Amino acid sequence: MFQETQQNIKHKKTERLFRILFLMMVLLLITPVLMILGTLIVKGGPAISLEFLFTNPTNGMTEGGLFPALLGTIWLVVVALLASVPLGIAAALYLSEYAPDNWLTRAINLAIVNLAGVPSIVHALFGVGAFVIFFDFGTSILAASLTLAVMTLPVVIVATRESLQAVPQAFREACWNMGATRWQTIRRVVLPNAISGILTGIILEVSRTAGETAPIMFTGAAFYLPFLPESVFDQTMALALHLFVVATQVPNVPPSMPYGVALVLISIVLLFNAMSITFRMYLRGQKKW
Amino acid sequence: MKKFLAALAVVVGAMSLPLSGEARVMIQNKGSDTLVNVAQAWAEEYINIKSNVAVAVTGGGSGTGIAALINGTVDLANASRSIKDKEVKLAQKRGIEPVQHIVGYDALAVFIHKNNPVKSFSLQKLAEVYGEDGEINRWNQLGIEIPGCQSNKMILVSRQNNSGTYAYFRKAVLGKKRDYKLGTRDMHGSKDVVDLVEHTPCAIGYSGLAYATEHLKMACISSKEGEKCVNPSVASASDGSYPIARPLFMYTNGQPKGEIKAYLDWILSDVGQCIIKAKGYAPVRAVDCK
Repeated sequence: MFQETQQNIKHKKTERLFRILFLMMVLLLITPVLMILGTLIVKGGPAISLEFLFTNPTNGMTEGGLFPALLGTIWLVVVALLASVPLGIAAALYLSEYAPDNWLTRAINLAIVNLAGVPSIVHALFGVGAFVIFFDFGTSILAASLTLAVMTLPVVIVATRESLQAVPQAFREACWNMGATRWQTIRRVVLPNAISGILTGIILEVSRTAGETAPIMFTGAAFYLPFLPESVFDQTMALALHLFVVATQVPNVPPSMPYGVALVLISIVLLFNAMSITFRMYLRGQKKW
Repeated sequence: MKKFLAALAVVVGAMSLPLSGEARVMIQNKGSDTLVNVAQAWAEEYINIKSNVAVAVTGGGSGTGIAALINGTVDLANASRSIKDKEVKLAQKRGIEPVQHIVGYDALAVFIHKNNPVKSFSLQKLAEVYGEDGEINRWNQLGIEIPGCQSNKMILVSRQNNSGTYAYFRKAVLGKKRDYKLGTRDMHGSKDVVDLVEHTPCAIGYSGLAYATEHLKMACISSKEGEKCVNPSVASASDGSYPIARPLFMYTNGQPKGEIKAYLDWILSDVGQCIIKAKGYAPVRAVDCK
């Protein structure tokens, strides 16, 4: 018969203590999230209606909806993704699969990490100089999206590189031994196994892209536009800036409106994320290990 | 992945399809935060009148608008102060000829908390409150007590230094050479000033009359100590009796032509002037609005 010793009981107690401590930390972490969502739903919920989502702002932006801003944010996110995802994945593939481990590669890696730390307002000024003025895109969706893409590129590169490196080296070696080239190995073995991690990076990117205000303020977003954007060379309204505007710039806005705009912004991000997560789960189902 | 990319391409493609066949004329309009809400109201109405002319409105401050005009990135720069000689020279160096148009007048209201018993201020007193080395720092120096303001210390609410409101208030109240007192709270936008004063019993702030709400009080202003004070209103700004009313400007590069001229003419027409009046600013001339 197993007799519990004094020491055993003590260990169990400590175990329970830490378990509760860590659980409390988790609860503490999700409390702000729940509070934010709760506040937005309670205060902004009444503002949400089909009309709010699909009409233009009217009467000096104190009435009507936010459709141009909603559409604008989708534009910005999609164009930014189209620019940064292929570029980011290609860069990560080179760094992880091809690049020799020398000072140049290390310098590039360091540069990428540092790029991730650059404040968004600095990216904004870079965007004005590079895309708006030098490349002469003007204040447009293209300039704003490229600025956002540059800003989020490090996230994509780092997430992709990490997930590529998580694919066991033995997989690659097995493939090479069958006579496959590097590219064939990447295409058939490495990428399919790394895709879920890459998508995580993209999810993070979407959230940041949709939420950032500074980089688009000078490069493509307008206070008010009486039309919907028709091409990447048009200016656009955007949810993040619209939220700033109705919260701080326009007098006599009904109090539920800023909350409503914030709720729509968060919902859009969650929707984009849900799409990628479903896709990721589907891919994970395909995985054989 | 391929299907995903293809789907994305279709979405983007669909979004790029022109919604209307007509060629669109864009007018870029940027600048003053004081004017931004009127500019927005004009743009909102103008698309109903001329569906092929779209006015894109952006704020940022008078300085931002004038800088954009100098850089050649806007057609109409909004400003709540007149352009400086230095800026004109800079513009001319780049081949840009700023032309000034007065589109309305704005009474600059001095806001105080609704519990604040102060009724009026003379410009001299305001200068002592806001000006560098000014003597008035506490509300009890004016012989008043405000419920909820124990410290009695005045909280001076001001604007960021590229704001036309900031520049005009300095010129009109402090005098050209005098600077603001250190320690003012510089807000990024007129509405921020109003919001802060609404919630702070010790505060005093200034902004365009159009930003007034029923939750705060506006001081009656006299040009000299002892003279009769005038309340800020559209009427007193129009007839010039209110001491701190200022013209609001739009600047163009050279004399306006084509659609930009048409838009400016419409702004100065009775319809356009009624819109600015409805927003709480004074029109450039007497207009009869329904």
